[in-house]
Amino acid sequence: MSAKIRTRMGDGELVAMSPSEIREDIAVGTRDAAGKAGIPELTDEEQERLYEIIADPSRIVSVAPGDEVIVTDDGVPGSLYCGQDDSGAGIPMSRGQATLTYERACAADTVSLGHSDYSFKPVKNVISEETNAYYNISMGTTAPFIYGAQPNLGSYYQPDGPVRNPADLLLGGDVKAAQEAQEEAAEKMRQDILFCGRKLNDVGCEGLNLDTSASGGDADFMGTLQVVSELKEEAPGMPVIVGASGEFVLGMHGEVTFNDKQLAGMYPHDQVKVAEEAGVSIYGVAIGTSTNESLAWNVARSVTFTKAAVSAANIPIHVNVGMGVGGVPMCEVPPVDALTRATKSLVELGKADGL
Amino acid sequence: MTQTTFEEAARSILSGDADAAAAIAKQGLEQGIDPLRLINEGFIPGINEVGDQFGAGRLFIPQLMLSARAMEQATEIINAAFPQQEGIAQGKIVIATVEGDVHDIGKTIVATLFKANGFEVIDLGRDVPTARIIEAAETNNVDIIGTSTLLTTTMTVQKDLEEALKEAGLRDKYKTIVGGAPVTKRWADRIGADAYANDALDGVRVAKELLKGR
Amino acid sequence: MGGIRTTGDLVAWMQLARKMKIAEAKQYVADKLGIEVSTLTDEEEMRRLREELGIGTIISVSGSPKGILAKIRISELLGIPINSVELFKSQLS
Repeated sequence: MSAKIRTRMGDGELVAMSPSEIREDIAVGTRDAAGKAGIPELTDEEQERLYEIIADPSRIVSVAPGDEVIVTDDGVPGSLYCGQDDSGAGIPMSRGQATLTYERACAADTVSLGHSDYSFKPVKNVISEETNAYYNISMGTTAPFIYGAQPNLGSYYQPDGPVRNPADLLLGGDVKAAQEAQEEAAEKMRQDILFCGRKLNDVGCEGLNLDTSASGGDADFMGTLQVVSELKEEAPGMPVIVGASGEFVLGMHGEVTFNDKQLAGMYPHDQVKVAEEAGVSIYGVAIGTSTNESLAWNVARSVTFTKAAVSAANIPIHVNVGMGVGGVPMCEVPPVDALTRATKSLVELGKADGL
Repeated sequence: MTQTTFEEAARSILSGDADAAAAIAKQGLEQGIDPLRLINEGFIPGINEVGDQFGAGRLFIPQLMLSARAMEQATEIINAAFPQQEGIAQGKIVIATVEGDVHDIGKTIVATLFKANGFEVIDLGRDVPTARIIEAAETNNVDIIGTSTLLTTTMTVQKDLEEALKEAGLRDKYKTIVGGAPVTKRWADRIGADAYANDALDGVRVAKELLKGR
Repeated sequence: MGGIRTTGDLVAWMQLARKMKIAEAKQYVADKLGIEVSTLTDEEEMRRLREELGIGTIISVSGSPKGILAKIRISELLGIPINSVELFKSQLS
């Protein structure tokens, strides 16, 4: 009888699984991703290598020396001083102290600044505060210093914003009005991001991160891509990172396009192509973790999506890894055994350019 | 003949054609097809396929809404063919995103699929105080209370609901289902909820299971 | 990759500025530094080299550049424009 292997479920629960159960979950996970996105499954060899990574008896695992990749962050300095809402440590420190602490004490590859609300709509109202903080801190940082916020189309809908809420319109059966509301909101969102992007470029912004794009669906993604195109024209010296919010673009609208390509239902390997066309420098794919499935199933799935996206991309792909994404369990303090197995697999087998 | 009608029924739902769905429901009944078979073997496979395609990103929310409306039309006609009190209504559910959480895309999809599957749905929206959820459950005499949350900081409100129901002596009166990104079966077990739903389609399955043998 | 402890910041600059995939970015940085790719994550070697080049060190060396001065050197070393550096230079002039 084979010994059981200590591993995790997608919600972080410690479980013991047999080698055959883990191998079976890897096979089912990669098949699920491949079937959904119309991409190749992991090969038998890759599946076996993934099994070895998952079943490794060490507490943490790592890639071989020389195979390390870049980690871009989305607001980690903020996590030093923020509270539970941002999975933060709540340390009383300034934004500048937090940024330099992350760079020099945590040896970060990139550092970042973001407003605590982390959406462009509220940032617009305090943009001079943000540009002031950005400029001052950028004088002290050495690693690339990125300003990040979410496009967050949802913040433009009533009651938070001025546009009629498409969820209400859809429930009332008015599909056309719901689509028009999304287009109207996407335009307002585009204008706000453009405004903020210009102001940040004026103070020498070294990189702009449009994080968790498409969280409001395909119109959210459309507005994001449109504004990237405009910013690349106006501010070619400011690289733009776009991060995704899920493995496929939710079709809230269903019909919006970018460069004549329908955005709804796009999986990472197609998302990255429109991101490239828009002028994105680094694209962050996001694959959700299922809490009901094992780490093996979730990582196999994430690696399958990632491998296809990296293969299709001409720009670097950084995979979102953290609470509930990239195969990492959905829990506030992701277990390091699961986290390192996910990251090693994404780099070694998914060929990710970064995390 | 019957099989053809079942296939046409499923197709009408998949294409979101409410007129066709209504016509097929009437035609099926006129052909003498058992109403229960007509719904279970014709229309429900259609809405299940819609749910699967939506989950895979191959079908989008506007189409989902059209399919749901087509399903409602067909269900209404078939319901009327049942003898009094024997309709196919699955049950009544009050649904809400908990207080402090404004995320409602997922909850709206859940409400839509519940309606499409013959449930009567009272959708309270988002950021809904626990007291209001209980009040709506009482007023509408529902079977199930479903709550959604996207945030780790608001998932504790689902626990508050369980406690509030206990304090009010209402805990055994309702079945509770919890869902949302950070929510898990372990969380449901920990707080004493009756069930956890992984997604909208799973929610419908779980609700039907909970209400079996009422 | 270790940020300014090794060369993570430099490789990240290349991904941002030139949209380089990881292998290309590493090779580019290694060539500019005159080292092997495998040395990019060697803390011992990079501690010395970074101080020599004045591109910022993880250990705070008195008088050794960090911040905008280090970024000016990085911009020159890697042959890429950096937005903050360009702004700073324009303000100096």
